[in-house]
Amino acid sequence: MVSRPHAKSARAREIREVHKPSRATRLFITWRKLRKSALAVIGFGIILIVSISALLAPIIAPYDPQWSGSSRRPPSMENFFGTDNRGRDMLSLIIYGARISLYVGIGAVLIEVFLGLTIGMIAGYFGGLIDEILMRISDVVLTLPQLMLLILAVSMFKVRGLHVIVILMGALGWPLMARVVRSEFLSLREATYVEAAKSVGASNWRIIIHHILPNIMSTIVVLATMDIPWYIFYEATLTFLGFGDPSSSSWGVLLEKGYMYTTSSWWMITFPGLALLFTSLGFNLFGDGLRTALDVKVRE
Amino acid sequence: MTLRTYVIRRLFLIVPTFFLISIIIFVIINLAPGDPVRAMFAGRPVPPETVERIRHELGIDQPIYTQYFIWLGRLLRADFGYSYIYYRPVADLVGEKIPLTLELMLIANAVSLTIAVFLGVIAAVKQYSITDALSSLGALIGYSTPNFWIALVAIAFFSVQLGLLPVEGVQTEGMKFASPFHALYDHLLHLVLPTSILVLGWTAYLFRIVRSSMLEVLMQDYIVTARAKGLKERVVIYKHALKNVMLPVVTYTGYSIGFLLAGAAVIESIFSWPGLGQFWVSSASQRDYPTLMGISVITALMVLIANLCTDIAYSLVDPRIRYD
Repeated sequence: MVSRPHAKSARAREIREVHKPSRATRLFITWRKLRKSALAVIGFGIILIVSISALLAPIIAPYDPQWSGSSRRPPSMENFFGTDNRGRDMLSLIIYGARISLYVGIGAVLIEVFLGLTIGMIAGYFGGLIDEILMRISDVVLTLPQLMLLILAVSMFKVRGLHVIVILMGALGWPLMARVVRSEFLSLREATYVEAAKSVGASNWRIIIHHILPNIMSTIVVLATMDIPWYIFYEATLTFLGFGDPSSSSWGVLLEKGYMYTTSSWWMITFPGLALLFTSLGFNLFGDGLRTALDVKVRE
Repeated sequence: MTLRTYVIRRLFLIVPTFFLISIIIFVIINLAPGDPVRAMFAGRPVPPETVERIRHELGIDQPIYTQYFIWLGRLLRADFGYSYIYYRPVADLVGEKIPLTLELMLIANAVSLTIAVFLGVIAAVKQYSITDALSSLGALIGYSTPNFWIALVAIAFFSVQLGLLPVEGVQTEGMKFASPFHALYDHLLHLVLPTSILVLGWTAYLFRIVRSSMLEVLMQDYIVTARAKGLKERVVIYKHALKNVMLPVVTYTGYSIGFLLAGAAVIESIFSWPGLGQFWVSSASQRDYPTLMGISVITALMVLIANLCTDIAYSLVDPRIRYD
């Protein structure tokens, strides 16, 4: 019997389809696994609540953040979380503060991922001298404790703007990401499918972007999710220690102000802190769930 | 390669890293705004000739690369600079602060390591039990709590509301102590809050590591073998499994010394604990640049040496590690 080439290729397509589910299918599978973990769903819910407060702050917040009544009023029916030293409604300030925290966390993580991915990719794929130089640089950045490095870097600037802090955090946060990406590249570089792609003449960039990158995406997503709360913490800590942007009204600024009234107005420190805890818990729960669902093994 | 050549090679690797760090610290601080000479006089009027003379004495009228090499040369002679604010050598100041930071860190670390190992082992052995669920949830919450915030809450509650514990410092100011024991007791009281808060965070952190590595170890073949030999479960867990769990836990602690130091810095600042971290924060906010440079270099050296020691300890303990 004469073999029919198109039948063969139909079979090949079938095999490919079985082995490589479409992007939508993969997302769906991940979601189904995630849904099984109650904690991950709670985490997702928390992230959703924080994001909605940030996006719809003008609608949700009971007062304008600039509104002011009598100062340092304890929680009541008019002001659920009380008022601060300038008579502003704490609940509204916290809702508006979600915007800043999310901006800080996500902004810094995006910069970190961009730098970590690029540097890790180059080091892991090309190896040799480039790898050696890049890894020594990452050693250096990792030597000084991140918070101290941030304090040093922030003191370089006369104006301590929020954007500057976000950029600095991202710019100093890449080494661990770069190392993980590098080690993934080191092992995937030897994979048979990379060898196959090379043998049919694929360029370096094509291999990196189409063959290796899709396989490490889940690791990157998990790492990035779990780094978001760290950046939110760092911003709050920096601000609290007096190295932040005093003109913003991030949760860190609220805490720093509340610090002076710890003895008399407990609500001024309690609620912004709870907001930080709540948000960070959301990202950590979700990140943990995502790690299990995507079966990512990252050394902590 | 023998252990000795490994250690020597690692020591040599510290040199370029340290060199790069010193450049970064120098550049960052020289980019910082503000005139150090003006800072010295804190806004008081000074004749311009005096300013020029001091500039010349300090060497800051030289080009920046010359300044760097002068500074590096001093560092190599263990001269870490002179504080413009305290009018004392930075090395002396740091020397006074290190013991206090070490005290805080060592106590907090020992306590949290003990709790984390105890709970982590139980949680892993009885996976999915109530104990496991509760302690994992507790760790997650501890891990997600900003430590400076919990410090504020603790001060508000234990010190202000209940009046039980002192809020700041290492000793009650101006108090006459009847005996050294009384002084010690007073000091211990001051230790309670800062260490407890550090313990909360670190325990949560270490617990997760102990639990996950215990779970990994319990799946290994040699554990099955140990059980098949008919050993008691207690022996299997504490003699066979725990040994291999402790290895990553201890190394992890060694590598995260910088992280621990930063965490301690925040707590020290809140409790006015005059340690290295608090010194770092106060020098940065007073823009005392020579001190900041000195502390940065000393911290970097401490971290590099701690990492080296961890590596060596690791390879000594685990015979599977090859030195290459």
